[in-house]
Amino acid sequence: MTMTFDTHRVEQPSALASGSESAIVARKLRRTFKGGIEAVRDIDLAVSTGEVFGFLGPNGAGKTTTVRMLCTLLPPTAGTAMVAGLDVVREAAQVRRRIGVALQEIGLDPVQTGRELLELQCGLYGITGRLATTRADELLELVGLTDAAERRTKTYSGGMKRRLDLASALVHAPDVLFLDEPTTGLDPASRLTIWDEVRRINAGGATVFLTTQYMEEADKLCDRVAIIDNGQIVADGTPEQLKAEMGRDVVSVSLDGADPAATEAALGGLPGLERVAAEPGALALYVEDGASSIPEIVRRLDRDRILVGAISVARPSLDDVFLKATGRRLEGQQRSSQELEEVSR
Amino acid sequence: MTEVLLLGRRATREIVRYPEATIPTLFIPLFFLVVNIGQVSKTFPSSTPFLKGQGYVAFQLPVSLMFAVATATSGLALVTEIDLGYFDKLLVAPIRRSSLIFGRLTADLVRGIAASGLVLLVGIALGARVQSGVAGAVLIVLLSALFGVAYAGFGILVALRTRNVQATQSSFLLFFPLLFLTPNFVPFDRLSPLMEALARINPISYVIVGLRSLVIDGWDLGKIGVCLLVTIALGAVLITASLRVIATYDRN
Ligand SMILES: Nc1ncnc2c1ncn2[C@@H]1O[C@H](COP(=O)(O)OP(=O)(O)OP(=O)(O)O)[C@@H](O)[C@H]1O
Ligand SMILES: [Mg+2]
Repeated sequence: MTMTFDTHRVEQPSALASGSESAIVARKLRRTFKGGIEAVRDIDLAVSTGEVFGFLGPNGAGKTTTVRMLCTLLPPTAGTAMVAGLDVVREAAQVRRRIGVALQEIGLDPVQTGRELLELQCGLYGITGRLATTRADELLELVGLTDAAERRTKTYSGGMKRRLDLASALVHAPDVLFLDEPTTGLDPASRLTIWDEVRRINAGGATVFLTTQYMEEADKLCDRVAIIDNGQIVADGTPEQLKAEMGRDVVSVSLDGADPAATEAALGGLPGLERVAAEPGALALYVEDGASSIPEIVRRLDRDRILVGAISVARPSLDDVFLKATGRRLEGQQRSSQELEEVSR
Repeated sequence: MTEVLLLGRRATREIVRYPEATIPTLFIPLFFLVVNIGQVSKTFPSSTPFLKGQGYVAFQLPVSLMFAVATATSGLALVTEIDLGYFDKLLVAPIRRSSLIFGRLTADLVRGIAASGLVLLVGIALGARVQSGVAGAVLIVLLSALFGVAYAGFGILVALRTRNVQATQSSFLLFFPLLFLTPNFVPFDRLSPLMEALARINPISYVIVGLRSLVIDGWDLGKIGVCLLVTIALGAVLITASLRVIATYDRN
């Protein structure tokens, strides 16, 4: 970002207002596809410069559609979006210079080698000759592909392809980096590698907008999170804020055949209880302090002669946030085992 | 301009590294030269007036040249790239979209020169003599390659419009009838009246006539000029249409 660029923007009041603080601003952004599919419905977004922003949602929620609009690949049906202070429709060419993009479908050319692909990518951003070679070397090193640099990309594993794709989004040191599900389909080790790389890129000053279906990823990697479901944003904030809004702890009572209604009735007046949510085969009690409510829970169940299975305490996860916002759990999500403190009866 | 060269180099590299895509396209023209001509030359010995003392291979050579350069290879490479998602990566780069097409066409020019050069050499080995000399031979190769570039615009257009491999693949079939509704086996005046009428309105005829004149007649600037004009016009129409499609590519 150059000085002249900034002063130039002063002449555009709307751009300045949002441009100096926000890397991404979307207002009432909408995309309707042929056949009336409303993939994204009037979403508002504000991502501050320097943030890692997580866009969390299940399959078909509208994550990719949003990313493609922000990346100038897909024109919005309605609404506006600014990236790096530039309008994605009217100033698409300038936006492209400022962003790096790794799409959900990894875009690699199978007959080029990793190095050739990066050098070509450099060339498309005006970096040529020795500079391109040096930059390609740096990036290959960054993503740990130096040894595979001279191999054609069709011989790469899924994780290697992801990393090369990520590297190719970085050739021009973009101000804003878009990553659409960068870790889907990767094993846990490769996922951690990508997380490290994202943190390093972010530490270098880039704003990162990433989509994910993984709660844990949003939680561990992102400064702020928006949850999208069915084309609408249903919750947003820092992971801590979102979890704090849920109340402090979740005590899960496994019913093991006990009557849900009777159990709920027995625990009704529990001190510090915010609400009770019924889950298949269990009750989730949102309480102020999980550990210290256990004795009282046990006492009440004993009193009413209700026999239940395990009782466990967990801090609320983003999954609980998702459940509260949408009334459903994200498919395939479990509270991770470290979060569970088993309390035996 | 740099981006066109970079993308052109990449597309050329793809052709070199993926010979499976190019070798079959050379099979038909070489088959024509060797087998077909071996049979037809009994019907048309070199005493036939329109052969001007040469073997039939010289008369047929331009048809083979055109078969060699007219392929849907670029279109197929493009549609594959769209399928693989690499095309999106290129679209999001700060380059002119036209560069994506001109890059492909650069590779078509390179391949066209190589393919027509090869076919011409085989033709000469089989006895054809280029009456316009070495300069004429070079011009034959360049005109053929240019026709290949123009024709590639068709595959690219189909690829961008349909984004479908099969459709792009079969777009090549369109060339067959066009190539046969020409004075490809005999001159205009030896065709049946209906065939002659069709051949005379088929622009491809004039490309064949121009190339053939360089082999059989020497320097006939009129025929060469028409050949060049037809090629440029065909290319301009197809490439302009492709440019228009790519400019509005993402408005689906
Ligand atoms: N080109 C298109 N034409 C029609 N409908 C589309 C198109 N692209 C996406 N959709 C629809 O829009 C909705 C949102 O899709 P999108 O790809 O944005 O979801 P997503 O959140 O990225 O999902 P996933 O996690 O599966 O990648 C889906 O219902 C999808 O079927
Ligand atoms: Mg997606």
